[in-house]
Amino acid sequence: MRREDGAHQGERRFALMLTAPGMLALLLTTTFPLAYLVWSSFQTINLAMPFMDGFAGVQNYVEMWHDSRYWHAMGLTGIYTFSSVALQVVIGMGLALLVMQIPAGQWIFRIVAILPIVLAPVVVGLFWRTLMLAPNFGMVDFLVQWLGFEQINWLGAPTPALISVIAIHTWQWTPFAFLVFLASLASLPGDVYEAARIDRANALQRFWHITLPLLRPAIIIVIIMRVMISLSAFAAIFAATGGGPGTASEILNLYAFKTSFVELNFGYGSALAVSLLIITMAVSGVLFYLRTPRRREAGA
Amino acid sequence: MSDHTKSPGPHRSRHLTRRDVLKTAAAGTATLAAPGLLIGNAHAAGQFMDLGSFQGAGIDWRMAEGEQITIAVIPAGYFNNLETVLPDFVSLTGVEARLEMIPPGQIRQKAVLDLSSKTGTYASHAADPMYYQLYAANGWIDPLDDYLGSDKLTDSAWFDYEDIQPGHRGATSVDGRPYGIPFDGEATIQIYRKDVYDAKGLSPAETLDDYRANAEAVHDPDNRLWGCALRGFRGAGQNMYIYPSIFRAYGGEWFDGERVTVDTPEALGALEYYVTLLNSYAPAGVENWNWPDIADAFSQGTVGSYIDAHGSAAVVANPEKSKVVGNIGFARWPKGPSGKRVTSIWNWSFPINGALSEKQKQATWLFAQWAGSKEVQVATTYAFPGAYKRTGANRASLWQDQQFLDLMSGFGHNYVQAATESFANDTDPDWRPRLPQWPAVGDTMATAIQAALVGQARPAAALKDAQEKIDKILKG
Repeated sequence: MRREDGAHQGERRFALMLTAPGMLALLLTTTFPLAYLVWSSFQTINLAMPFMDGFAGVQNYVEMWHDSRYWHAMGLTGIYTFSSVALQVVIGMGLALLVMQIPAGQWIFRIVAILPIVLAPVVVGLFWRTLMLAPNFGMVDFLVQWLGFEQINWLGAPTPALISVIAIHTWQWTPFAFLVFLASLASLPGDVYEAARIDRANALQRFWHITLPLLRPAIIIVIIMRVMISLSAFAAIFAATGGGPGTASEILNLYAFKTSFVELNFGYGSALAVSLLIITMAVSGVLFYLRTPRRREAGA
Repeated sequence: MSDHTKSPGPHRSRHLTRRDVLKTAAAGTATLAAPGLLIGNAHAAGQFMDLGSFQGAGIDWRMAEGEQITIAVIPAGYFNNLETVLPDFVSLTGVEARLEMIPPGQIRQKAVLDLSSKTGTYASHAADPMYYQLYAANGWIDPLDDYLGSDKLTDSAWFDYEDIQPGHRGATSVDGRPYGIPFDGEATIQIYRKDVYDAKGLSPAETLDDYRANAEAVHDPDNRLWGCALRGFRGAGQNMYIYPSIFRAYGGEWFDGERVTVDTPEALGALEYYVTLLNSYAPAGVENWNWPDIADAFSQGTVGSYIDAHGSAAVVANPEKSKVVGNIGFARWPKGPSGKRVTSIWNWSFPINGALSEKQKQATWLFAQWAGSKEVQVATTYAFPGAYKRTGANRASLWQDQQFLDLMSGFGHNYVQAATESFANDTDPDWRPRLPQWPAVGDTMATAIQAALVGQARPAAALKDAQEKIDKILKG
């Protein structure tokens, strides 16, 4: 026993040695900046007023509690995340079901679907800003007027601007949901459907009672990944509206960025970023919990 | 690098790094890849300018020989011209200077990060004049009076600091101490369609009310002509570039003692004017327009008038891109209710990074002095060998130089007069609130102005909100 223990310990030490460089790199590149961020959030660090710098305790967080622009940004983040993820899942699912019905040439759709994903978000933001949504010159504006509707100033009025950035995000990332669902659908067992058909289940019943439950892991994974990304979205909005007009599309991430890097108030900016971090972790935690199938269900 | 090897022979200079080019320059082939620049015969080093006139200055130009300095600038025509003649500086001083182009949206952040972390990456950078208070409060840059006053470092008769536009000198000084050497600056002026105004019997606006009336008179969106346009995009350098002039013309005061005031009746009058004007007579989308968008629209003949930097004339009077060449008129800013006309005192200037070694500081000072000198100003404006010639000369003497004026008068009716009179009479050191917290104050105001413009908030509410936020910012 003892000798085995010793060998085991030696092995563990060896394993530790092998992983140490990687762990260290990880520590330095992720954990340390994160700890530094949290530390900064308890400080007053304002480059515009260096004489005020020092330990602030929870003052930044108290200020945040009373900051109407923070709650505005928080509300927008919620709306932005919920609606863009919901749209991605619903549209992605719809497209996947549709494409599954096509007997040949599905690969064409797969390739087309990848295109928006591989674009850099900044490019996507600029592309929509200039080519699609610009008043008088943009394609969307042209289309809307051609169809006989009133001109809508997509990026220039508060509500349309928010709708636009949600649409841009949805446009870029629905293909991701689509591809995952398409792959999952293709791997569903045919015999279950055959049995259902023998039992005279109609299409809606088959979708509701077979497809959806079987796709549950895929759906939840898509939701988790998309929610995490949506909460911390930045580049496309930054390029398309810069958070504007006014603060109409200023989600939390943009507010934190502006506070730190435009206003140079790093202490408060860090506190804003930490609050976003906590929210992202909490939401993902809940979703991960939902993902684990409960035992009874799994057994049934 | 592999794609470089595929390039055909004639563009050899493109393979080279800048340093290679600088080395080659010493050997006599200053072939910086500036597109459209015609360098007929190979220029020997120092051939953009007569080095003799520099040698005439009573300083040792080679005091910092061998130093390497990097200067951050923005990609813009005026800095391209400077980069083209930079080999002359290298051969004059033996300092290996290189310019690094950083887009205007990022240069402030990069400079602040570099200065605050004291890494000394950028010996100098094209600085926003509104940032000097911040830089000086932190001690990040050196005050220049020591440099200007030293016989060893500066020949004051030759350099003639006093000849630099007073507005620009004031804008780059803090409490009377100079901190940066202005390189390129501008005045804001009215730019209008002379043909349209003449046809309607209008004359350029004398007052802000006239300006609105003119806009109304020419406004004809069904025939794709909008009355006017001003910068609408949110940003300390965008809408908060144009609004301060209106604010001051309305008699607004940024300071009430120590307090910054932005919700006074004058401020509200100015904001309501701006919002009503643009919502009534500007093209849709103007809330996202910065000056290039405005200049483009004016070039296409869809805007009757705009107010912006005099340098934008180079864009709207460019026959390759503009449809309105020959039909452009210029005038000074209209007067506001207070009777004042207030132009911007915007300029790009070069400070000295305080984190450098003594030798590097000398090298950087030589650069700033060289770039601000009459010789380089001439070489990058009317004497520049390429197609684009700078218009933002920093020196009063140049604005009296006939050759410079000949170049300027080509842009259109009354251009020289409008610009010269603006420089002489309309500059206002309190154009914008000068204080270390400017980045936060400027952005807060920019957000409020845009929110009011798009109707997210009423002007009064937007200003009240901004005032509260600014009070909090200044309290810390």
